[in-house]
Amino acid sequence: MKTAGANGAPVLEVRHIEKVYGTRNNATHALRDVSFTVEEGDFIGIMGASGSGKSTLLNCISTIDAVTSGTVLVHGTDVTRLKAKKLARFRREQLGFIFQDSNLLDTLTVRENIALPLTISRVPAHDVLIRVEEVARRLGIAETLEKYPYQLSGGQQQRVAAARALVTDPAIIMADEPTGALDSKNARLLLESLETMNERYRATVLMVTHDSFAASYTHRVLFIRDGRIFTELRRGDAPRQAFFERIMEVVAMMGGDGSDAL
Amino acid sequence: MLCKIAWGNVRRAGKDYLIYLLTLTLAVTVFYAFNTISIQVDLAGVSEQNSGMGDLLGGVISGLTVFLAVVMGFLMVYANNFIMKRRKKEFGLYQVLGMSRGQVARIMTLETLFVSLAALVLGIICGLALSQVMVFFTASIFKTQIADFHFFFSLEAFCTTVGCLAAIFVVTLIFNLRVVARAKVIDLMGAGRKNEIIRVRNPWLSAAIFIAGIAAIGVAYVRLLDQGLPYDGQPEGMRDFLITTVTVVVGTILMFYGLSGFLLKALQGVRGLYWRGLNMVTMRQLAAKVNTVSMSMAVIAMILFLAITSVTTGMSLADTMNNTVERGTPVDYTRCLVYWGPRSVAEMNSRKAYAEDDVVYAVATGPVDMMAAGKNDIMNPDTPEAKPFDLASIAGSYVQVDAFDSTPRDGDHPVVSLGDLCEAVDMPLPAGTENSDMTTLGLMVIDESTYNKYLRFRGMEPIELGENGYTITSDMGATVNDVYNKVLGEGIKLEIGGRALTPVQDRVPEDASTFQNAMMGMNSGTIVLPDDLVASLNLPLYYSYLMLNYADGVSVEEGDAYVAAPRTYSDVLNEAGESIAGWGTEASRTVTYESVDSMNGLISYLAIYIGFVLVLACAAILTIQQLSGVAEAGANYRILSELGTATDQIAHSVLAQQTIFFLFPLVVGIAHAMVALKVIIELVALFGGMSIGGTVGLTTLIFVVAYGGYFCVTYLMSRGMVHEATLARHAA
Ligand SMILES: Nc1ncnc2c1ncn2[C@@H]1O[C@H](COP(=O)(O)OP(=O)(O)O)[C@@H](O)[C@H]1O
Ligand SMILES: [Mg+2]
Repeated sequence: MKTAGANGAPVLEVRHIEKVYGTRNNATHALRDVSFTVEEGDFIGIMGASGSGKSTLLNCISTIDAVTSGTVLVHGTDVTRLKAKKLARFRREQLGFIFQDSNLLDTLTVRENIALPLTISRVPAHDVLIRVEEVARRLGIAETLEKYPYQLSGGQQQRVAAARALVTDPAIIMADEPTGALDSKNARLLLESLETMNERYRATVLMVTHDSFAASYTHRVLFIRDGRIFTELRRGDAPRQAFFERIMEVVAMMGGDGSDAL
Repeated sequence: MLCKIAWGNVRRAGKDYLIYLLTLTLAVTVFYAFNTISIQVDLAGVSEQNSGMGDLLGGVISGLTVFLAVVMGFLMVYANNFIMKRRKKEFGLYQVLGMSRGQVARIMTLETLFVSLAALVLGIICGLALSQVMVFFTASIFKTQIADFHFFFSLEAFCTTVGCLAAIFVVTLIFNLRVVARAKVIDLMGAGRKNEIIRVRNPWLSAAIFIAGIAAIGVAYVRLLDQGLPYDGQPEGMRDFLITTVTVVVGTILMFYGLSGFLLKALQGVRGLYWRGLNMVTMRQLAAKVNTVSMSMAVIAMILFLAITSVTTGMSLADTMNNTVERGTPVDYTRCLVYWGPRSVAEMNSRKAYAEDDVVYAVATGPVDMMAAGKNDIMNPDTPEAKPFDLASIAGSYVQVDAFDSTPRDGDHPVVSLGDLCEAVDMPLPAGTENSDMTTLGLMVIDESTYNKYLRFRGMEPIELGENGYTITSDMGATVNDVYNKVLGEGIKLEIGGRALTPVQDRVPEDASTFQNAMMGMNSGTIVLPDDLVASLNLPLYYSYLMLNYADGVSVEEGDAYVAAPRTYSDVLNEAGESIAGWGTEASRTVTYESVDSMNGLISYLAIYIGFVLVLACAAILTIQQLSGVAEAGANYRILSELGTATDQIAHSVLAQQTIFFLFPLVVGIAHAMVALKVIIELVALFGGMSIGGTVGLTTLIFVVAYGGYFCVTYLMSRGMVHEATLARHAA
């Protein structure tokens, strides 16, 4: 086994994490012994039925929620043992979030929303404005910068959220059902943005979804059932269409309570 | 069943209801406590000293109670609106689930009832405690001893409180039922969504409005400082004052309306500051909030202004009386005699045709001996102890001062008037005297030997006027005495009775100017002239003052009891049996001090009451607004936390917003108050130097405790809410 060090350590290493909600007599075992490793520049999909523990897994990795046991290593650092101040800093500097509802601050303009993670990290104003402009252009939302979130379509809002996640150059981008509230055209636009970020800018992406089409954009899909990793698919050099069909097969195989939700 | 839902709701929406409960409880507490005033005054022993005070205070307080009830009602409707806005969706849900509107309305009624009852119980308990404590406070304000302290409960105050609360309950209920009855289910369900849309004002326009508001306020300040208060009720003065008032109100509203835009533009101008940390979040949140509450912030600023002004003025007046009463009571007892003037004699005699009595009035030819004339009064009439009122029996040393009117018997114009003197030294008439008798009727006149007799009696050095000397006495405040001091100081020559006179002193002898016991200055200007000049001027007598100290063998209590005993007042007649004068005020030093204490007590009491209630109401409104704002922004704070903002940092942002919200109306209120007080001081200074210094301490303390307390509670509760919001897991 490789020793974990700053150099050569994988971007993310999840080791035997467990998550139990509730009290002893009324407990929900949301995650059971989940382990996997993510390398730099990976694009990972996490699939599973509703209630299978996808969001819980993402929240545990991102430290929004605390694990019951196990460790999460980011670049070799165990983030489950960080104190509140360091935790906030870790989230700020290493992670980018995209949620199903875009989670923009309604009182801020688009430009300000995207700038927020940078100003929180005390990046000088000059750099903030340049980086916001650049990431907005990449995601095709440069014209909306002076607008307020409520003036945008759902797809635009989601791309603003993506821009906000990317602007800090995070180690990992976490997306929880980012296409869940979008129509197919807007969903495709967002997925292509994520693909571009991953391929051209080497961003590591972790995306939760229950949509096989969305999952087919990734390189590797983890299937979760009842809090366990059930199986895993790697795309290799296969074209997206072929990967999509293989994902559909697994979904069908998981069957039962799985298929109707997918 | 409905009852159970309602009870559950109250418990679940506890945080929202807590504010409502707190405010209502506080209102009930203050309401009950202050309505027990007449009982308190009894217990504190004020009525023994001044029997009318309890009734007087009771009367004034019940008037204020109406005012307080209105303030309280407004507060409750406001607090209730806040809860309703947050719960519309829930009420919509009940209807979707098949409850009838009637049932929903009943749930709501029950909820309001639970909270009101809880507030009543808590409020009365606190009010009971507060009213017991206030007895000691009342005693200290009125400077009395508590005769016999026992626990008390005022049924009357209790009933008034319950009545008011019931009225407020009904009003609130009508409001709430209208919300349910009017709204369509779809609107109720969408209430949460609709709130998220934020109207954004053009920041440039806002900034311009802000500047316009500041300009209007500035204009109003200049106008007020220039024109002063319309104390004389002249129509032009009133009109000017009205314009000034409208200008300042409009200016204040405009300023708050444009405030957010201005702040935003100002901070955005400094890039490094705006794009730094949570500054832009703070500003944007502030801007969004200020847009919806600018009107109430303006109202709060105006209310705070009223509170500060009334409290400070009241307390300062009380202070002034405390300071002047010592100088105003040089002897144990004074009595005053008023001579009928030539004009009044003519008038009263001509009216005799209608009058029943057959008194003939006449102008006095010489001063009356007051000690002798007093003996015509009968003490304890119609009792076996009846006897003449003989001041000689208690008098030690005494002096009589006779003062003349400055308008000669055969003339129309005074030989010297305040107006003349102002003109001579090129000063405007003091504020408040422009249309008073003082200006046109002129100063009083006494002759040199009378004044020297008075000075010797007071143990002071006599003065020497010579042929052509004069001096002026007055114990009024600075605004009048400044004129006299300038006249004397500049050695202004006066032309009286064909003689050119020069002053022999260079300032008014303020400590040798009081001729009768009083809580404030009564001598608004008396000129001292050489004896022969006074004799030649043919002036009618105006007043005679008798100043007297009790004899060595007579204690103050005995002396006071002697002069306070009931008696008849006889007419003062000349040898021909014609009436030449009437008895004026008399006052012992003790009574003067006591009435100062009572007066001070009354003024301080009312000032504190009004100030306290107003400040409380303002602070409560701000608290409700802020807490509802934090609750609405809860989702935003959670996002910030997920983006990696430490909770402390978010709390700082909230603190910055709330500081601005609490501070701005206060600053504006204080600024308004300072300008207004400057003008008020000028007016009040007429009666003795009104000083703000000493009283500001207490005023500030009241403000800091009430306002600051609310601010702290608001911030601490908000911080708790931020913590909770950031802890909540993202609902995926
Ligand atoms: N805060 C919570 N408290 C208790 N149980 C929870 C909580 N969050 C999620 N769960 C439970 O954990 C399980 C996994 O939930 P989640 O991760 O949200 O599923 P998914 O995102 O795959 O739909 C579910 O059974 C859910 O009921
Ligand atoms: Mg989920």
